[in-house]
Amino acid sequence: MAILADEGTKVIIQGITGRVGSAQAKLMLDYGTRIVAGVTPGRGGQEVHGIPVYDSVEEALKEHEADASVVFVPASAARDSVFEAIECGLRLVVVVTERIPIHDAMRMKALADAKGAVLIGPNTPGIITPGRTKLGIMPGNLYRRGDIGIVARSATLAYEIAANLTEAGMGQSTCLGIGGDRVTGITFVDALRLFEEDEETRGVVLVGEIGRRVEEEAADYIREGFGKPVLAFIAGREAIPGKRMGHAGAIIEGGKGTAESKIEALRRAGAAVIDRPSEVVEVARDLFR
Amino acid sequence: MRLFEFESKPILAEYGIPIPRGRLASSPEEVEDVLRSIPPPVVLKAQVTVGRRGKAGGVKVARTAEEAMGLSRELFGREIHGQMVERILIEEFVEAAKELFLSITIDDSAGRPIILASQEGGVEIEELAAEHPEKIVRELVDPLRGLRGYEARRIAKAMGLSGQPMVEVGRILCSLYRAFIDYDATIVEVNPLALTGAGGLCATGAVMIIDDDALDRHPELRERAEGRMEDDIERLAFRLGIPYVRFDGDIGIIGSGAGLATATVDVLRSYGGRPANFLDTGGRITYEHMKNCLDLVFRNPKVRALLVNLYGGINPIVEGAKGIADFVKERGLHVPIVVKVRGNFEEEAWRILEGAGIEVVKSSRTEDAAQRILERLREAV
Repeated sequence: MAILADEGTKVIIQGITGRVGSAQAKLMLDYGTRIVAGVTPGRGGQEVHGIPVYDSVEEALKEHEADASVVFVPASAARDSVFEAIECGLRLVVVVTERIPIHDAMRMKALADAKGAVLIGPNTPGIITPGRTKLGIMPGNLYRRGDIGIVARSATLAYEIAANLTEAGMGQSTCLGIGGDRVTGITFVDALRLFEEDEETRGVVLVGEIGRRVEEEAADYIREGFGKPVLAFIAGREAIPGKRMGHAGAIIEGGKGTAESKIEALRRAGAAVIDRPSEVVEVARDLFR
Repeated sequence: MRLFEFESKPILAEYGIPIPRGRLASSPEEVEDVLRSIPPPVVLKAQVTVGRRGKAGGVKVARTAEEAMGLSRELFGREIHGQMVERILIEEFVEAAKELFLSITIDDSAGRPIILASQEGGVEIEELAAEHPEKIVRELVDPLRGLRGYEARRIAKAMGLSGQPMVEVGRILCSLYRAFIDYDATIVEVNPLALTGAGGLCATGAVMIIDDDALDRHPELRERAEGRMEDDIERLAFRLGIPYVRFDGDIGIIGSGAGLATATVDVLRSYGGRPANFLDTGGRITYEHMKNCLDLVFRNPKVRALLVNLYGGINPIVEGAKGIADFVKERGLHVPIVVKVRGNFEEEAWRILEGAGIEVVKSSRTEDAAQRILERLREAV
């Protein structure tokens, strides 16, 4: 049944009246996502693309059943919105907003952990189960339904990997971004665990980059007996140490977090690591047969 | 953003953490002046925002005024890990019976603040962490709950302290934690925290790093961060909120996302191309934003070609395409440009770019775009 989200998932959009929130709500609707309500404080009673807007998550949930929220609220107010979604009992919260202060991200994660909610992001493209639903910003035309799981730190690099697979006729079960920041909700290991239990997923493509330790942790998890084949690509071989490569999490500090060390760890764990993104096609064809 | 020590220390003092008496000097004449109010023995500390300064000879003790003058002349204009010493912090010398280490930073894996503390602080702390990790007390903090006084004292006790110093270090840890939160720091560190023979404590070394994504909550720091960027283009990019890193090549790169832009640099390099920069549009492309991105890239006089790699997910690539087309027209650019663009509304974006005579790569292979720009560059020579 794919992981985390499918056609049955009922979604609210926080920040639906903003430029990005409104445009993305339309694209999600077009894709088939079951959006039941939107939330923007002060805009209760309005409609966006026919979706009713409420002043708070609590009020939205009085009128509609929902499982998940996708958050497009600006960085300065995002923490409060995420707290609201989690404390109102939503089990899945996808935070698309980028440049959220790390202290806010730590608190979001701690609250999600304490309440048993799944937090995806911040700074994530979200999650797409191709042909069925998407909770996020991925361009739907680049994906097709199939049996390869994708988990990535970078949004657009993951689109590229998915598009290459799609063009070669290889579809995806579920694709998600854990987020580009230093502290995020779910990580590679959490995603691998979910993919392992998912009958529709034959194998996983992991798209990593410099900084953090999530790739090394994934490598440890794979080595300890992950039951499905893993293909990996790591960006940032040419990165300059000490310089942040866009993502807050993408920085080599004190010689740690280099692409080489991640590639080495994943190879030792038995993953097939490719050197250039489009090699995913050939290797996947062989590995996920 | 890493603060200078002369900036961090007054912040710690605001939180009731004892610091040595000190003053800043930016010339030997100023040093002479400072020495009249802070008589030797003194410590001269080169002000740079890089680590391992002490090991690189950036911290000197002077017993007499002559010695202080001589040492300051040596320090001024010296480079420490690539950074020029323009200012020296002169502090009263504090005799330490013991040098403690206290640090609060972020454990990325746990997603929580972590306290690191040891009774064996000083310049060898990294070696200690590597060789004797058991000598460093580590404790995660629940960010929703914060640090309690009794927990801080428990950490001080685990460091091996007792009596009044244990209580006092606990108090200092709580103050550090408050500064860590209030300033949106990613690191607040006191090393060393001098424990004097008389049982007093003094933060003789301090480091603070502030989260770049939180600078909007600290406008006074944002201004300073901008002022201290050395590269003109990187400074302008910072002001515009555009992640930009300058390289030494000749092919400008714009990617709509950090990972994609990073991979574009890698791929181009793997074919022998030389990137002039990394630039990430982020998820905030508009017509104006795209023009700003191109403007940044072409401010670098070495740029002889441009490779743009875009996906329309959150980004309205049609607006981006218009921005590129108009920029090229308005500037009358004739250098090779290749734009690879896919995603929502890709066909309209292609039409706009092609209408402006710009080469478009319609596949989702960054490799194709990289090879095309290299071919175009060869043809152009």
